[in-house]
Amino acid sequence: MKTKYLIITIIVLLSTSVFGQRYITKTGHIWFHSEAPLETIEAHNSQVNAAMDIKTGAIVFKVLMKSFIFEKALMQEHFNENYIESTFYPNATFQGKITNSENIDFSTPGTYNAEITGELTIHNVTNKVMATGTLEVTPEIIHGKSKFSIQVADYNIRIPDVVAGKIAEDVDIYVDIQLKELNKESLKSAN
Amino acid sequence: MKKLLKIAVILAIIGVLSAMYVWFFVYNKPHRNYQTAEVDFTLPAQMCYNQYANRADEAIQYTGKVLQIDGIPSSIEKTDSTVIIVFAYNTGMFGDEGIRCSVLPDYQDKVQEIKLMKQVVMKGYCAGYNGTDVILEYCSIITQ
Repeated sequence: MKTKYLIITIIVLLSTSVFGQRYITKTGHIWFHSEAPLETIEAHNSQVNAAMDIKTGAIVFKVLMKSFIFEKALMQEHFNENYIESTFYPNATFQGKITNSENIDFSTPGTYNAEITGELTIHNVTNKVMATGTLEVTPEIIHGKSKFSIQVADYNIRIPDVVAGKIAEDVDIYVDIQLKELNKESLKSAN
Repeated sequence: MKKLLKIAVILAIIGVLSAMYVWFFVYNKPHRNYQTAEVDFTLPAQMCYNQYANRADEAIQYTGKVLQIDGIPSSIEKTDSTVIIVFAYNTGMFGDEGIRCSVLPDYQDKVQEIKLMKQVVMKGYCAGYNGTDVILEYCSIITQ
């Protein structure tokens, strides 16, 4: 059901925009890092879908969980099979909005502070999240960076007692996206 | 007393060997070598995309498996961290949609030899479908 709402939101978000206002990437980089006394866990995903409407400030992310690459194969296996259960919940999504878009001039190159609020769905559990970041506006791209933290327990991810000391309860999430204007020919076909 | 000592030494050796086995072959086991891995499914790239996009039952079996696909690449995208070969078959809200193959570092130089609009065969780990694209990771180039 949530997927249905997300698709409707994406369609509304994108179909209401006009040429030159939709910026996208399919090579967004998201990684997470957690440190516990016995274990540091980090994984990277470089094929993240993201879209931003610079008129409304709306932002959407879609992240395929099986695309997170870990240094250790065993960690990757446990992440997919035991914690995230990526076979049943293959994607994480974020849909939100830049809440201070009045302070960002997308027509003038520069680096702007951004405040983002939205709903993050992981493991079929949705929570409200707030994050801060920067948007570097250049004539070619909008380069967005952000870092925020989540608690694994908030997403119904159960950590067995036997490994509880190895896995931190908080996970830092880093976002690095280079958004390009969606080319007008694609947009005409899509609409 | 000597017998006890002997048992203790044997147990200690078994313990050390077991710990070494767990450390090297379980905890630090290497990632699967997708370059040499046996292929689970061989199919045309467009068929693979169509099956995922149309939510066909066949598509479910590809996720988490090693696929060998053949098709005509439409573009090559390079970022700081990866090189992606794109097979586009549709256009949607995020632009081109199709199959996106993230290339193994050993093959990133070989990507320059790929000619767009000419047939290429690739092998990689299928991470699944994200609603717009089928994602293949750890890809190697078989023929071009």
